[in-house]
Amino acid sequence: ADPALMEGRQIFNSGAASAPACALCHTLKDAGSAGQIGPNLDELKPDTARIARVIRSGMGPMPAFTALTDDQVAALARYVSTVTQAKP
Amino acid sequence: MPPHFAVNPVRRALLGASASAAAMASLGPWRSALAQQVRPLPAFAAWKDAGAMIVHSPNTIELRRGAMGDGVITPAKHLYVRNNIAPPSADILNDRDAWEVQIDGVRRPRAFKLADLKKMPTETVTMVLQCSGNGRGMFPSKPSGTPWQVGAAGCVMWTGVPVRELVHELGGMEVGAKFLTGTGGEVIPAGLDPKTRIERSVPVAAMEDALLAWELNGQPIPLAHGGPLRLIVPGFTGVNSIKYVKRVGFTHAESDSSIQQADYRMSAPDAKTMNPADPSVWQMPPKSWINSPLPEGGTLRAGAAVIKGVAFGGTNAVKQVEVSTDGGATWKVAALVGPDLGRFAWREFAATVDLTSGSHQLASRVTDVKGRTQPETRIENKAGYLNTSWRDHAVTVSVA
Repeated sequence: ADPALMEGRQIFNSGAASAPACALCHTLKDAGSAGQIGPNLDELKPDTARIARVIRSGMGPMPAFTALTDDQVAALARYVSTVTQAKP
Repeated sequence: MPPHFAVNPVRRALLGASASAAAMASLGPWRSALAQQVRPLPAFAAWKDAGAMIVHSPNTIELRRGAMGDGVITPAKHLYVRNNIAPPSADILNDRDAWEVQIDGVRRPRAFKLADLKKMPTETVTMVLQCSGNGRGMFPSKPSGTPWQVGAAGCVMWTGVPVRELVHELGGMEVGAKFLTGTGGEVIPAGLDPKTRIERSVPVAAMEDALLAWELNGQPIPLAHGGPLRLIVPGFTGVNSIKYVKRVGFTHAESDSSIQQADYRMSAPDAKTMNPADPSVWQMPPKSWINSPLPEGGTLRAGAAVIKGVAFGGTNAVKQVEVSTDGGATWKVAALVGPDLGRFAWREFAATVDLTSGSHQLASRVTDVKGRTQPETRIENKAGYLNTSWRDHAVTVSVA
């Protein structure tokens, strides 16, 4: 795997700061997660900007994750958009 | 009736042909996404009429405009599905009567089993169930969220016990309660912020019309629609009618859940985040739309044609529906047909018009008994809620 994506994958699966793992709620094939609470990211294919916005602001039942650093949010957004082959 | 009043056979054929090229052409913004992938119905909604539905995602499924039908009641197999998070396991339907709901914020709080509720006086309400974002797909600003057209709505009958009866039974609500707050029974994984729970508060006055319902159109409520027990808040958008309801509380403050505080708000289009101080999406404003004829029915023949659709006043009865064949330049009063099933239900309307050769923009607009008329323009907002614009809902047909 691309080392540049490893940080995002790690946060996705394990969480960071006070943010829980994304994998608890979201299915993402690359991460090996099968969460059923929120949208399936392989189907949704959100782009980088949308991922960052939703992590920062929340959407629907998903709360805003304000404890993550800008770098962590960027790493997550890059990882998810890349492995779902969303347009950047 | 002249023979050309019969429903266009092309349109009929389309109702069962979800992937046909003509159906795709009618889907506007969805076309490219759907052309790549027609999604199957999820297991919990596998019993729906697949040919009539558009599956946006496993938790967002709408009815095609051309499949709305001509009867006033929407059959469950055609009712849209919108779950904010995945539904609980279907195991909760194994023993419906054992389902428990806790009533709080009253003088004598207690839990009721569904079996207990069934022994109380029941009522049936017919109402429009409509997603807050129905019509979002018509916002030129393309707000984030499911791009619903008109099909995240239906008119259905719910049967259950009036919430006001329960409150009376329990000695009345607490002094100073301002909100009726319902909590859903979805399972939230450990480690998540509890604000993820599905919980909504509405002004406490809504209690007068609210039900705790266990039947939908005379059948036990399916999992997809909130069975075994759903809080029904007539006149309010669908999100306020909590599925799998496990707690009903009379509270002094609105819920702190994310879907109460940070979503379902009429925030400015350019707002960075939703502001909890912005108005909550609660009551539905008056709205109507045409279901026939539609552009996918193909070219119409010049002469008389019947325009048909549905109209509702949200919390008020419908007074009048008007239709236009010239994009709103002139209007003609339509007949209200079918039974009047109360102020929360929709009315069907029909108007016979004369269509000349050329292109016609067909529109409808409703006025409720309080004098509120469906507006031409939508209220722009960040998430694309409550689109009632008659212009957005107009259809353009070709006449030869």
